[in-house]
Amino acid sequence: MNMQHSKLENLLKSHHRDAFLWARQCCRFEDELAKDVLQQSYLKILEGKAKLQHPEKIKSWLFSIIRFTAIDELRKLGKTESLEENYDPIIPEEELEERSYEGIIQLLPLRQREVILAVFYHNLTIEEAAETLQITLGTARTHYDRGKKKLKELILKTETLKQHG
Amino acid sequence: MANDELIRDFFQKMKAEDQRIPIPEFPEVKAGGFNWWIPMGIAATLLLGGFFLIKQEPVAEPPADLIIISLQENENQEQQLIIEEKAYLDTWESTTSSLLTDF
Repeated sequence: MNMQHSKLENLLKSHHRDAFLWARQCCRFEDELAKDVLQQSYLKILEGKAKLQHPEKIKSWLFSIIRFTAIDELRKLGKTESLEENYDPIIPEEELEERSYEGIIQLLPLRQREVILAVFYHNLTIEEAAETLQITLGTARTHYDRGKKKLKELILKTETLKQHG
Repeated sequence: MANDELIRDFFQKMKAEDQRIPIPEFPEVKAGGFNWWIPMGIAATLLLGGFFLIKQEPVAEPPADLIIISLQENENQEQQLIIEEKAYLDTWESTTSSLLTDF
């Protein structure tokens, strides 16, 4: 189904804020890189390189394009991230104490972080998160469960450190 | 879901903090519209090419009139020049006409 250009542009405008925040999250919270990624994603869409088949799924479709564009850009910049599920960097306690929300989120392994952000921050369902990340529902559920567990640990640890700091 | 309260609370605070993030304007994306210069250029090239290629060979037109000068003997056995003016078609003779007369 070909959507009219102006209608598509209006749909994109209505999701612009969410799209920018998602782009930022996919670009390790780098504002300038997120702006570039978002611009490129819009270009892909408006030039017809990416086609919206189901308008009701616009958010997961848009997020998917942004994510893949961000991965490409990060790869070009040599900023690839480990996909290792058990990747668990040891963070010194004093550093953890100073970490912002973004800093804590970044401690999650990449896939877990993406699923958790999609579901809890952007209110996507796990199914929509799976579509966005182009993974199976089962895999998305696994990342979701592990991500939640890991994030809870990190939040509790940070709070304990702040209380006793 | 009460189990997720800690995470929901975490993200609520994160979202509240993100309200301070300046959101860039929706960019003016100029989608590459159809460039009419390309088909116009192709059409012009084809027209020019056709003009030169289909240019017809000039057809040789037969002369309007023909002057025939012949030397003949008259009744007094004298040679005389006879000048005749004929239309081209009157003088045309089939290349195979001899076949009709000789056989």
